[in-house]
Amino acid sequence: MAKIKIYSTPTCPYCVTLKEFLKERDIAFEDANVAQDAQAREEMIHKSGQMGVPVIDIDGEIIIGFDREKISKILKI
Amino acid sequence: MLYDLIIIGGGPAGVAAGIYAARQNLNTLLIAKSFGGQMTRKSVDIENYPGFEKISGLDLMQKFEKHLRKNKIDIEIDSVSKVEKVSGGFYVSATSGKQFQSKAVIVTSGADPRPLEVPGEKEFIGKGVSYCTACDGPLFGDKEVAVVGGGNSGFEAAISLHSYAKKVYILEFSPQIKADEINQKLAQKYDIEVITNAAIKEIKGKDFVDSVIYQDRKSQKLITLNVQGVFVEIGSQPATSFAKDLVEFSEKDEIKIDPKNNMTKTPGLFAAGDVTDVRWKQIVIAAGEGCKAALSAYEYIINHG
Repeated sequence: MAKIKIYSTPTCPYCVTLKEFLKERDIAFEDANVAQDAQAREEMIHKSGQMGVPVIDIDGEIIIGFDREKISKILKI
Repeated sequence: MLYDLIIIGGGPAGVAAGIYAARQNLNTLLIAKSFGGQMTRKSVDIENYPGFEKISGLDLMQKFEKHLRKNKIDIEIDSVSKVEKVSGGFYVSATSGKQFQSKAVIVTSGADPRPLEVPGEKEFIGKGVSYCTACDGPLFGDKEVAVVGGGNSGFEAAISLHSYAKKVYILEFSPQIKADEINQKLAQKYDIEVITNAAIKEIKGKDFVDSVIYQDRKSQKLITLNVQGVFVEIGSQPATSFAKDLVEFSEKDEIKIDPKNNMTKTPGLFAAGDVTDVRWKQIVIAAGEGCKAALSAYEYIINHG
């Protein structure tokens, strides 16, 4: 199983779409709310070099935005 | 597989069209990048959709999507790259490479935020430049930010940003502010600094935005404002690139429709909501227009199918 961490805010539509996408496929992930968690926010900016959400970290591979094709490819779904 | 109807877009117009089409037993596919459209980017709650005194765009979107999924309808999360007219109907191609066929199509792809088109804007997208206050606003805690655009959406963005940011500016090109008085009063209450006659020239920074340069249109002087965030709220442009050859456009690049039945100049191709030249852009209007388009498409399919 891949280790997945999502950096998101509660108000961003693509974050919701991304999480729904993974839930529908029974894929477990850790969700960090960068609106509240300043440490997670710094971690996200450091990892992705930018401030847009969502960011998804799949075993160290960083994807910015809900890039469905890229995510599907890495997770082989 | 040949569908009766393909709906492009997952905002209020697309969802309403989907519900009506499914209930008319049309074999329907809805293709959308995501659900909710511009509604989910709104920085303040929605207070004018009947039945909901106050609801966030995200919550209303989830209700729309849930309602749609209760019906018999196929849904693809994908973006459309091209719509072509072929004999007996339409080919719809998606960026994933998938292709679909239908007898009729309804375009409800809405509108995208209009860019400033100044140096630095593109390269700093996600690095301080944002078109979605609701999404990115919370990341600007204790920072200084500027909202470009002094209309209602600009003021709403600034008002929502004030709860995170240390300092909020509004930069408006024209000499007057066009936002409603209630928004202007709130901005005053929250110490939001409104600057009129400001023509944005450049967005600057290293890895992230650190300033915006504007020209004071009265004195012609260039002024640098030290901000880490620039939120662009200067209106929207219809998302229509995939249907260019099949429709006529208004002077605002909206798809021209027959207001009676939502048909474009191409028979069988309908459009509804903010992507069209409908006079007002409102959630409740978009939903109504989606319904009209679905019923017109039903009539068209029965007569031509």
